[in-house]
Amino acid sequence: MKERETLWEACLNKGMNRRTFLKSCVALTSLMGLSTDMVSKVVEAAETKPLPVVLWLSGHECTGCSESFVRTGAPLPSDVLLTNISLEYSHLLSAGSGDDLEAHLEKMMKQHRGKYILAVEGAVATGSNGIYCMSGGKPFIKTLREAAAGAAAVIAYGSCAAYGGIQAAQPNPTSSAGIGKYISAKAVVNVPGCPPIPEVMTGVVMHLAMFGVLPPLDSDNRPKQFFGNRVHDTCYRRPFFDAGMFADRYDDAGAKAGWCLYRLGCRGPETYSSCGNMRWHQGLSYPIQSGAACIGCASPKFWDESPFSERMPKYGPLGDIDMIGAGMAAASVAGVAAHGALSLLQKQKRDKEEAAEARRGVTNGKEGDK
Amino acid sequence: MDASNVSVVQRRIYYLFSPFLRIFHWIMVDCICVLFVTGILIGKPLQILNFEPTATYLLMNVVRDLHFLAAFLLCASFVLKIYGFIINKGDRLFPRFWEGHFYMEVIDVALHYMLLKKSHKSYLRNPLARMSYAFLYVLVAIEVLTGFAMYLMVNPDSIWAFAFSWVNTVLGSEFMTHLVHHYVAWAIILFASGHLYMVTRAEFMEGESEVSSMFSGSKVLVHVPTDVKEIL
Repeated sequence: MKERETLWEACLNKGMNRRTFLKSCVALTSLMGLSTDMVSKVVEAAETKPLPVVLWLSGHECTGCSESFVRTGAPLPSDVLLTNISLEYSHLLSAGSGDDLEAHLEKMMKQHRGKYILAVEGAVATGSNGIYCMSGGKPFIKTLREAAAGAAAVIAYGSCAAYGGIQAAQPNPTSSAGIGKYISAKAVVNVPGCPPIPEVMTGVVMHLAMFGVLPPLDSDNRPKQFFGNRVHDTCYRRPFFDAGMFADRYDDAGAKAGWCLYRLGCRGPETYSSCGNMRWHQGLSYPIQSGAACIGCASPKFWDESPFSERMPKYGPLGDIDMIGAGMAAASVAGVAAHGALSLLQKQKRDKEEAAEARRGVTNGKEGDK
Repeated sequence: MDASNVSVVQRRIYYLFSPFLRIFHWIMVDCICVLFVTGILIGKPLQILNFEPTATYLLMNVVRDLHFLAAFLLCASFVLKIYGFIINKGDRLFPRFWEGHFYMEVIDVALHYMLLKKSHKSYLRNPLARMSYAFLYVLVAIEVLTGFAMYLMVNPDSIWAFAFSWVNTVLGSEFMTHLVHHYVAWAIILFASGHLYMVTRAEFMEGESEVSSMFSGSKVLVHVPTDVKEIL
């Protein structure tokens, strides 16, 4: 492979002019969630920073994240993959396969050691020495550790790589988990979502590619610019929540009128994602806009928090906590009344005995606790 | 003074609760009532089929604001509780787990409450009440922590969110925080129903001014309480 080129050189080689290059830089700036006064920094980085090598590993997953990634609208996936990054290993997109592809992975890991970006999709199956997830004849956990050791930065794409995902649902027979705890790399970016929004995925990898540093992260290692708000707080249906107008079923008048889905168990109030403001497929829609309550797919453990169509879990015939709580309150009132009545009887008996003792002239200075 | 409905009983007045604790107690009562009602409404908003956002009967944002107002008031009123705790011995009636006689007294009171014993010894505050009040503070602490973890994460970038977001991490997810907050609220209401009964029972059956002490600050007791050393 020849010397790695910068974005500017890549544009020149493709015969693009300076104007097109600058326009791409402006587009990239907004794509990465940066303010417009960062344009000059983006241009500078595009002229000087060599484009990064990206290795994309697939673990315990469904390839939904890759599928989401290739549906990014701005920039087009072809531009990202062919111009902006150098993707050297991917199960979904590689033309080659088998030993050749695995050998290429080894080669790239050696050649670009300490410089490549590792994108990981899917959980790591940690049970039984990782045999539940084998890739290229090796347990995924082994490949992952080797690849992560030489990576400049690791991106955990999707809720599986970030938190374990659906295969980590109870009872989690494969002991699947997020990759964070199982790799030694210092720089890990979590991009949860099932799958994440395509533009969020490209935005994160472009930030790393352009600046060579991690985007600003929150305490959970998620990029702040994409995971800094709750879906509920950016939801266009929020005014209906505040006005107390809710859909009760998916086919009632409220649902048709587009009212708030909170009573249908919407997880918007607990979920951090850009669904509300970026939406999917270039602002076309997002689950709530399409009439489905959010299931919180970007939240840790969302898979164990069923039922998704209820705000609170139900416990069989007992109902939810409000039913149980009201039942217990009623039972405690009844119990208290019974105890009160019995206590009164006991007290009457005690008073009689004490009166009898007093009549017998016994000194009543001691307490009756013999 | 020799009528049959008049008797001469010698009682001693024990000053226990500072005005700070008493004011705190009644603020807490009011706040818990408001918090519980608004909290249930937030968890399950009434469906009253408003047809116009501008002419609604239930404004969720008002319900939420009332909930937050009561929550902040309750937290602020802890200043009174803490001040009383510092200046007044009667405000510090701990469950004395570290003293052996505590466990014997637990049995003493429990046997009486199970109606297996005619009466229990006299206490400034009996050991079961001590444990239940300590437990209430644990419940309130859980509500405060989970409540702020949800409330402040509206801006995850703020220093306040940093101070409380670990609660969501410990519980696994923010949804779990919502559930814990809701479940513990019910536990507090169950505590309140038991508490209300026990103090009323003590007042009426033993005549030991359990209810009025939270207004006057003093208990008027016939017997010398076994734990009187704690306020001397």
